[in-house]
Amino acid sequence: MSTPLLAAHNLNRQFGGLMAVNDVSLRVHQGEILGLLGPNGAGKTTLFNLISGVTPVSTGRIEWRGVPITGMASHAVAGLGIARTFQNLRLFPTLSCLDNVMVGLHRHARQKRLAALFQTRPFHQKQAKLHQEALALLELFGIADAAHRPANSLSYGDRRRLEMARALANRPELLLLDEPAAGMNPHEKDQLCELIRQIQAQFQLTVLIIEHHVPLMMQLCDRLVVLNFGKTIAEGPPEQIAKDPAVIEAYLGGAG
Amino acid sequence: MDTTLLQQMLLGALLGISVYLPLRCGQLSLATPGFYAIGGTVAALLSTRIPALGGDGVSYPISSVLLEMALAAMVTGILALGIGKVVLRLRGIYLAISTIALVEILRVVSLNLSFTGGAIGIFGIPQPFASPEGYVGFTSLLLAVVCWLCDRLERTRPGLAMAAIREDELAAASQGINTANTKLLAFVLSALVAGVTGVIAAHFLNSWNARMGNFDASITTLAFVVFGGTRTWLGPVIGGLVLTALPELLRPVGDLRLIVYGLVILMGPVLFPQGVITPERLSRWSRMLRQRLRLEAPTP
Repeated sequence: MSTPLLAAHNLNRQFGGLMAVNDVSLRVHQGEILGLLGPNGAGKTTLFNLISGVTPVSTGRIEWRGVPITGMASHAVAGLGIARTFQNLRLFPTLSCLDNVMVGLHRHARQKRLAALFQTRPFHQKQAKLHQEALALLELFGIADAAHRPANSLSYGDRRRLEMARALANRPELLLLDEPAAGMNPHEKDQLCELIRQIQAQFQLTVLIIEHHVPLMMQLCDRLVVLNFGKTIAEGPPEQIAKDPAVIEAYLGGAG
Repeated sequence: MDTTLLQQMLLGALLGISVYLPLRCGQLSLATPGFYAIGGTVAALLSTRIPALGGDGVSYPISSVLLEMALAAMVTGILALGIGKVVLRLRGIYLAISTIALVEILRVVSLNLSFTGGAIGIFGIPQPFASPEGYVGFTSLLLAVVCWLCDRLERTRPGLAMAAIREDELAAASQGINTANTKLLAFVLSALVAGVTGVIAAHFLNSWNARMGNFDASITTLAFVVFGGTRTWLGPVIGGLVLTALPELLRPVGDLRLIVYGLVILMGPVLFPQGVITPERLSRWSRMLRQRLRLEAPTP
């Protein structure tokens, strides 16, 4: 089998006496939508934080296209083409929605210093192009009307959408979505599911997604990984996971 | 308004910008007076000790002032680079405390060294300009250049990155922004502005001593930014101009001026939590101005 896009080998992360992530191994293949399921406190978000360099790994190895990236700073991880959203929304609240997405374009917005200083024509042309790209992303998520309003004036669902737009502005290869449907109503969840499929195809993304809404995950994901108490308890296609006794026990409790 | 006060206001505006730059990245650094003191000391030493620069005890060529500014920028820049790498690991109040310590260390060192004149300081710094008007012209020019550079900075990538760090450092890093380097850039730029301002101040004041950069100055310059606002460079400029002028303009009311000054500093943040000058307020004012102009224009 070809090298996975992202591979985690025996990852561990301890917080004091708590094993938040305990010997988790994970392979994400190019082009797939991989879902991460598990009860609250199972270590899903910690795993995201380890991958994106927000939290240092205690032990274990992370590889990007077979190259070790363990211990990389989060801005360097972003530079590889790994973008993420946050469970608790981390927008730039007083910046406009457009500027939020423009920050997402940071790595692609480099301009010659002198050109920027004297506002030459090429500078303006590139700046205009970047603005267009940012606006197109806002449009894609249906929040273009709010482009010039501050991010904290948006509704909760729109904030989630803005965060996804910002992540896409990184022009990533791998998109990590941490509970993108949290706080959305059933109708919005359906729309979101469609949207994730659409952007995955349009931007040729690989997606790693955490979500509690099981029907959405069953519908959306090619493969599921289930965590509990920091350990992987099941892995496989959705149909198989739905029947897995260990998963049923983790969610509903053991029979005795 | 007398020109001496105007000159002090311009220096205040420059120092306001120096405090503002790290604050744009959300970094509360109070190191500005320290770098200001270093700039002034560089100017005082060079112009009184090195005859080759053309100081004859009274007058002084402007080219030598520019040379001093370049040298002061180099010294403060390198120092800020070294110190910034260490202290910018601290956040919030801890960064503020460590930069206050830096200012105090510099003050005590300068107080105890013989070549900086100890407690007496350095006197008889030669004058590149015969009148305060000359200083005002030169400083206005410098302020204009610094404002222009700040404006460019805010409209381009590093400026937006700085604002993003202020809003949410972790999220900024996950967008690929090298937060450590960006904060360091702001800290060094802040030191350069303060150092260069110190050079002009030393000549203007004619003497320089260890009390020029102290804790009081840290708080005063911080007040410029708190009053003016941290969202755009125009805030600290207005803050620096107004708050430097206020104590002097209030002289007629006697000791009451201290109370009024305190009230202004107190009421500023209460009435305008983001400072008097914010981008939103600026665009509203410009809209109102345009409307008024349109109304006053004769209808054809």
